[in-house]
Amino acid sequence: MHARRPGKITSPIVSLSTSYVKLVPLGLVIGAIGLGLAYFMSLPQGGLKRFSYSYLVTYCSLLSMSLGCLFFVTVQHLTRAGWSVTVRRIAEIFAMCLIPMFVLFLPILLPVLMQRDDVYQWVNAGWLAGDREMFREIKNAYLNPSWFGIRIVAYFVIWGMMAYSFFGKSLKQDKTADPTLSRTMQKSATWKMIIFAATLVFASFDMEMSLSPRWFSTMFPVYFFAGGVMSAMAAIILTAALLQRSGRVTDEITVEHYHDLAKLTFGFIFFWGYIAFSQFMLIWYANLPEETFWYRFRMGDSASPGWIFWSLLLLFGHLLIPFLAMMARTVRRNKTYLLFATIFILCMHWVDHFWIIMPQLNIEMGATDVLGGDPANNPLPFSWLIDVPCAIGMVGIYVALFSGIAADRPLVPLHDPRLEESLNYRNA
Amino acid sequence: MAHSHKHDTPVETGPSSKLISLVAQFDDPHSLVAACDRAREAGYKKMDAYSPFPVHGIDDAIGIRRTRLPFFVLAVGLGACAFALLLQYYVNATDESPIFPGYKFFISGKPLFSLPANIPVTFEIIVLSSAFATFFGMWYLNGLPRFANPLHRLPMFRRVTNDKFFLVLEAEDEKFSESRSRQQLEEWGAKAIEECHEDLTDQKIPNGFRLAGIVFLFALLLPPALIYRVSGMTYRQPRLHVVPDMDWQDRYNTQTRGPNIGTPESPRYLFADGRAMQRPVSGTIARGDLTESDEYFRGYKTGTLPVSEGAGPSAQDQDGQDQDGMATGTTPEPEWVDGFPEEVVVNTDFLKRGKQRFEIYCVACHGYDGNGEGLVNQRAVALAAAGEAAWTAAKSLHDPAVKAQPIGRIFDTISNGRATMGPYKDQIPVKDRWAITAYVRALQATGIRTPQELAEANSATPEAGQ
Amino acid sequence: MAATVDFSLDNTHEDPSRRADLVLGGMTYGDITDNVAEIWEAGRPPKIWYVVFGTAVVLLSILGVCLLHLFFMGVGVWGNNNPVYWGFPIVNFVFWVGIGHAGTLISAILFLFRQNWRTSINRAAEAMTIFAVVCAGLFPGVHIGRLWVFYWLFPVPTEHLAMWPNFRSPLLWDVFAVGTYATVSLLFWYMGMVPDIATFRDRSKTKIQKFIYGLLSLGWTGSARNWHRYEMAYTILAALATPLVLSVHTIVSFDFAVSQLPGWHTTIFPPYFVAGAIFSGFAMVVTLLVPCRSLFKLERLITIRHLENMNKIIMATGLMVGTAYGIEFFIAWYGGVEYEKFAFINRAFGNYGISYWIMVTCNVFIPQLFWIRWFRTNLLAMVVISIFVNIGMWFERFVILMSLTRDFLPSSWGNFYPSLVDILMLIGSFGLFFTLFCLFCRYLPIIAISEVKNVSPQTLHHHGHDEHEHHVEHGTAH
Repeated sequence: MHARRPGKITSPIVSLSTSYVKLVPLGLVIGAIGLGLAYFMSLPQGGLKRFSYSYLVTYCSLLSMSLGCLFFVTVQHLTRAGWSVTVRRIAEIFAMCLIPMFVLFLPILLPVLMQRDDVYQWVNAGWLAGDREMFREIKNAYLNPSWFGIRIVAYFVIWGMMAYSFFGKSLKQDKTADPTLSRTMQKSATWKMIIFAATLVFASFDMEMSLSPRWFSTMFPVYFFAGGVMSAMAAIILTAALLQRSGRVTDEITVEHYHDLAKLTFGFIFFWGYIAFSQFMLIWYANLPEETFWYRFRMGDSASPGWIFWSLLLLFGHLLIPFLAMMARTVRRNKTYLLFATIFILCMHWVDHFWIIMPQLNIEMGATDVLGGDPANNPLPFSWLIDVPCAIGMVGIYVALFSGIAADRPLVPLHDPRLEESLNYRNA
Repeated sequence: MAHSHKHDTPVETGPSSKLISLVAQFDDPHSLVAACDRAREAGYKKMDAYSPFPVHGIDDAIGIRRTRLPFFVLAVGLGACAFALLLQYYVNATDESPIFPGYKFFISGKPLFSLPANIPVTFEIIVLSSAFATFFGMWYLNGLPRFANPLHRLPMFRRVTNDKFFLVLEAEDEKFSESRSRQQLEEWGAKAIEECHEDLTDQKIPNGFRLAGIVFLFALLLPPALIYRVSGMTYRQPRLHVVPDMDWQDRYNTQTRGPNIGTPESPRYLFADGRAMQRPVSGTIARGDLTESDEYFRGYKTGTLPVSEGAGPSAQDQDGQDQDGMATGTTPEPEWVDGFPEEVVVNTDFLKRGKQRFEIYCVACHGYDGNGEGLVNQRAVALAAAGEAAWTAAKSLHDPAVKAQPIGRIFDTISNGRATMGPYKDQIPVKDRWAITAYVRALQATGIRTPQELAEANSATPEAGQ
Repeated sequence: MAATVDFSLDNTHEDPSRRADLVLGGMTYGDITDNVAEIWEAGRPPKIWYVVFGTAVVLLSILGVCLLHLFFMGVGVWGNNNPVYWGFPIVNFVFWVGIGHAGTLISAILFLFRQNWRTSINRAAEAMTIFAVVCAGLFPGVHIGRLWVFYWLFPVPTEHLAMWPNFRSPLLWDVFAVGTYATVSLLFWYMGMVPDIATFRDRSKTKIQKFIYGLLSLGWTGSARNWHRYEMAYTILAALATPLVLSVHTIVSFDFAVSQLPGWHTTIFPPYFVAGAIFSGFAMVVTLLVPCRSLFKLERLITIRHLENMNKIIMATGLMVGTAYGIEFFIAWYGGVEYEKFAFINRAFGNYGISYWIMVTCNVFIPQLFWIRWFRTNLLAMVVISIFVNIGMWFERFVILMSLTRDFLPSSWGNFYPSLVDILMLIGSFGLFFTLFCLFCRYLPIIAISEVKNVSPQTLHHHGHDEHEHHVEHGTAH
């Protein structure tokens, strides 16, 4: 039998200490360079429209990841989980990033409010010309700039308040060591979860599904959610591993926590596959034209054959390869393997959103404009000089946000009543 | 099984039989783990711990290596995946094979081998096989079932499934010596220690059981043998008649001899001609078969049928078609009625009935509006244009030529068909055919005239998708 | 405040710094064994057992008569007719399969999530799963009409037929899904029960008991090596059963969702059906366990906290189902397809609108009472609510099915009327279910004895002990 550790923090460094002073400007500089380069490169290829789409891809990847972390925090309180206490703070900080992420959404939101249809074609009222009266009424009632703006603000207010409430109470507990704060959070997690579900559903409709405003799928929010939680788990593992490499929180996050988080990642990889397959399967099987066009384009319809590669990349890279890799106990308990695996998974999460968003740009601008040439010569509708710098830049900004929020605050809850349980937690 | 018969008599394990192990009892899991730790430290290798539930930390304490079960299951699962996909490919996408040919057939426009539709079954087969592999693999690795275990003979050991914990040191172990081991066990906190001796009782399965087992095994061979015997045999009998319906009845068939009511030597029959069934009296018509009124049943005025044809308008269709499949004007036609026969009362209900029947039987080709743009017609016209089918476009009922036709003629078209349109008289009762005729007239009166006009009226119809 | 609560008697008190006990009253290992084994060792079961069993057997015989009638007369004795060719049988099938999901959920998913409270309820829930799947399998089984050629459902090589099943059909997926589910649940249930059957074996008094339980327990000894492989196998089976649970109800939902009728095609069906299945399954567990608990005096093992947790899950899954109803309506409107829109308006306000509102009331509104603690902890209240949930879930499938009465072709619109045989078979299936469950209660361990011991305070107490020592050490060190 192993001796039990007392519920005390023993690591020499439990915060970013002074590094955040360097990390924040560094992230912002990378962000400025990346986004600047991407914008400059997209000028000849469609300008703001091209750039906005690329921006939206990375934005949605990071947003769904942060929402996944918010979900993680909420569900840990909801189920009174003990094992996860030491990794919960990282998720709380990721969730806190939702507040500044509203500002990051402004480059998408403001053009919509200014009636520009660069991203969302429904902004231009003309898109419905020639449609049936009923169809036009319905679409205009839901998809119009002002109502869209109101909804977006509402989502961020709700998410921000949720994230702030968890983070703030958790920080307060660090100081006061008051166990009743945990109870308060547990109680409020119930109704917060309901509100979270409702906002996530409509946010996924608004931000991604409405890019193709004729298409609809009731499964879409679940798909968005599954990918988000999967990436959130990967992000928590990656962050924890990087923090420990730099000598922080070395004692608190043990291999058992990695093992468990990796199991959850594994579970959500499978869940994502299940949801993705079910959505595809139902549409493929029923073969209704108002739904199939979305998939047909992504399966290499004659207009743009390259998308089939992205679809296959998702099948193998987002499902089969990580599924088999994370099945191994050795991988789940090895920090080095996990580092590579989670980076790979996060890249695939980005590919997932690329696959959701970019075909719409392809449809609107025609294949050649996006591909920068003949589609036959460039099978992947993807540009190294626009999409990659844009993604790196956004991640840079996100790291700056994370570091700024974390600052010199502790990266583990110091006085959670279940800290001891978490420290002594062992997988069977 | 042996233990279950002779459980109550542990006396048989006398001191004369070989000692195989020492069994030490503990009261709680923690002292058991502690004792295991001590035993491992003392150098014991061949030992095992027994407990009512899996004790946390015992694996390390007695040095159990991780089982290879997961790898076995993974291998079975991957094999099952390949098997399931091959099975579905073979069964639904091939049909030439020397034995048990596959069965290719198109269903709902899906490809013969359609991966998305094959995933569910593949998944289920993987799970089923892996579950079997887990279940049976676990018992196999555990050496179970094992019904004769000397440990079960110790009365003390019965509480292993209740509330006691046991450490068993085996005599085969290098470090084992009866007295020293016993002393050690006491040191480590054993509450009671017993010796477990080799089981000298007859462990042979009783002969009756053995015989029954052999018979059972042979009996198991019977079903496959029978299946093998009947496979490929041709039967003239129906396979099994659980529900006889009316397949066997006590009756005489129409053209057979009736029952002999006399003696075999001088047969006598119910009827003079000996037939079991008599033919109807000449000049009689079965109930409901009287179709006397030409107006009502055939749509033309009585006595106007051209004599030369003889067989009625239906014969006209076959004989009187030119290459376009259209009835030629030269064929003499009877004089069609131009109003509804007296058997028919045209009112709202009658029209509603006509509408309902029309929408069941006619819209597929003629369309809801009767403009000839039904889905079947559209498809067939497209196929005909591609040279893949021969088709005469369905008539628009608003065509002036059709509107000019007398009512009886429309009724006759429904009854006997025209050109590619088949006869409907066998499917639709007379009254319903008149109801449809009435509804066709009503449609013609609505004012929509040509498909072109209709298309203009509906020009706002959106395209589906993008 | 916390000081006034005796944690060994009341575990409903919420205290984040302390895990609530899952076995109350300071029961020892022996007490736990006795408590469960008493049910089986008692000379005769309680009188109520005879009443329930008798009633169930009567209902079962009604089912038997109906089945014979069906067998000889053909499926025409049901109300299935144009346009609703899938009448009560598929509603009953999906209803029972749904109920059958709770058992595997409790034993597999909650096991993977290390929810220790599942141990007191998992065995009964697994048994319930098996019996519910038996009831479920009955309906599509007899629906094939010619029962004597049932094996055509499976890919059996035959020379004379030269035909194979169509693997692209959801109905064939069902055969595989339900077949796999029944088999895996049975393996899981039996494997989990072997150590407890060994307990019965070691307490057997008659030769027949010894023989039967000896045979069933496979010679289990509780060796640490056996336990190690057993636990590994249990984890693997749980990991297999978890996606299996999802897949089974997903495939059942495909039966409905891949159909091309408007309003029948909606991509949310798979997760929504799974949530609904868990919802109805937990409701059935509550319905069964609350009376069992009182009847067999298991209050210290199946505590109020266990029941409260189940009620919370019922509430949560009820909300998920409610969300799915909402999304369906939103998309029916947002999609702008008239047929879809019509199908949904018809669902709520059409000729079967009343069943829609029964469904919404029972599934979404009534479980919200569980927000109030009194309802979560009051035995009668929770049984009543759980029965409402079961009624609501039956109607959910009925509502989906009734979309068939209003399809694309107005000419083929019609209504559905169940026949007497339909109704008697539904009632009779409850007879089958309760007969099996009563027998299970009487002859097999209804609580996973070994698993409960593993999470009882007696086992976990040692940690507390250790912790104490540490505190003392620290206290002296400082």
